Amino acid sequence: MNPFDRLYMSGGGLPAPRPGYLPDLLRGYLPEPFPSLNSESGRAALSGAVHGTTILAFHFSEGVLVAGDRRATASNRIMSNRVDKILEIDSSALLAISGSPAMALEMGRILDHSLKFYRRSQLAEISLEGKLRILAQLLKDNLPMAVEGIGAVAPLFIARDGDAVRIYFYDILGAHFEGVEFSVGGSGSPEVQGILRFLDRWGDKNLRSLTREEALLLSLRLLETASYFDSATGGVGGQDPVYPVVRILTPQALETVSDEQISALYRSEVMRVR
Amino acid sequence: MFDEPYRWIDAIHQRREYISAQLDRVTPVLAVSIVEGIILATFHRQTPKIFELYDRMALAGVGHPADLESVRGHLLSMAHVEGFQRSPSDVTVERLALFGLAPRLKGAFEDIAVPPVILNVLLAEVATAPSQDLLIQVSYDGNIFRSASHAVLGADDESREKTVQLLGERLASHPATLSTALPVMGRVLFETIYSPEELGQDESGNLVDGTKTAECAKKLFSERVWEGVLLDRRDPGRVRRIPADPGWFR
Repeated sequence: MNPFDRLYMSGGGLPAPRPGYLPDLLRGYLPEPFPSLNSESGRAALSGAVHGTTILAFHFSEGVLVAGDRRATASNRIMSNRVDKILEIDSSALLAISGSPAMALEMGRILDHSLKFYRRSQLAEISLEGKLRILAQLLKDNLPMAVEGIGAVAPLFIARDGDAVRIYFYDILGAHFEGVEFSVGGSGSPEVQGILRFLDRWGDKNLRSLTREEALLLSLRLLETASYFDSATGGVGGQDPVYPVVRILTPQALETVSDEQISALYRSEVMRVR
Repeated sequence: MFDEPYRWIDAIHQRREYISAQLDRVTPVLAVSIVEGIILATFHRQTPKIFELYDRMALAGVGHPADLESVRGHLLSMAHVEGFQRSPSDVTVERLALFGLAPRLKGAFEDIAVPPVILNVLLAEVATAPSQDLLIQVSYDGNIFRSASHAVLGADDESREKTVQLLGERLASHPATLSTALPVMGRVLFETIYSPEELGQDESGNLVDGTKTAECAKKLFSERVWEGVLLDRRDPGRVRRIPADPGWFR
């Protein structure tokens, strides 16, 4: 063995990490990334765990639009109205999080670091299937927290696949499926899902034919509808407006729609009073 | 065998001579802080020498490829675990070199019962302004050399100082720009790889036989692979590969 390896690896006692897989390395340094809290005290401490969301993603003429409200709740308390639930991952993918933000944001960080670590250590970009598997593994590792009802996460993952952009949705166990036209997540998603299905099937245009402006307006109206029915989904308040996060992933670029553009549309097309 | 102090010192001397001999013919890696970021450039025959290390950081190594791979893996793990557990801004080449690399290289060098690590390493970190850029070299025995504007990672102090001086003289100003620094770096590498005789130059460095220069330029690209990397100040999350221009070597 190289003396350098011998010196820096001494005292570990852990199985060798899989090449390019950051979570294995993190396990060597952390007690456990997603520990089980299967005890009364653990559940009591986390009885106010934050959750509640509406996230959505659908194909339109240029790529995929991903949007999310900004509210985080714990039971009947609003914890924050400024949460960004659409996370950029390695500039080629988006992770839209629903469920427990503590777990979901941690998964987003691990995924982001993992993809960079893979690229830098293996000197190659990881495949789309590889990205999907890392996220599935993280969700599977989180299973104890999910079944205890305090840390479930059900994200959407939107990523480039060559010249295409694809939408995947996960369940809390890590199973993932492609959302061919759209996918939604969070407590406010049933209304949004129904509207998207209706519009794609019987609307004037199907979703993939929408222009950027039409897609953006639709996403804002959908989130506003969700906030009307779901108290855990934030709307846009009148005194201190915080607008939804909308990001667009195309085969060429990833961009965030500006607050100015969203606020103008909100005033003229979403909040209009009859 | 090594229970007497002079035997250990003698063994260290022999080890240093052995490593120096192994490193003697390496092609250096040049690093220059410029307006746009930091450029690292070299030529390799078989395996790459310059790698992306972390946000804002790159790693270069000359020596044995297997040793470079061990060090690269160690620093990558250290940087990414640190960046995840704390913040990407807490990862610095200063900490990687001082606490992650130098003590272990020194320990490996002085453990004379095992094969030596044949490797000199350069770590580069781009900042928001050229005046804050940092280039740190860690030699096979754990010694550290810092530079700010430009550095040469080579076999030993003598060759390093000679090439640093040449590079400093050729770079008109600091900070230079990408378009002005890159041809200079390519040309300095060219003149480091081939002797004045091979390049058709007289003792004063004047060109007397242009055909020899052309032959060397042709041979350069048939026998070696160019490596040029920019740590971009505006986009520090990913290094940018820069191709060579054959015009630099005419």
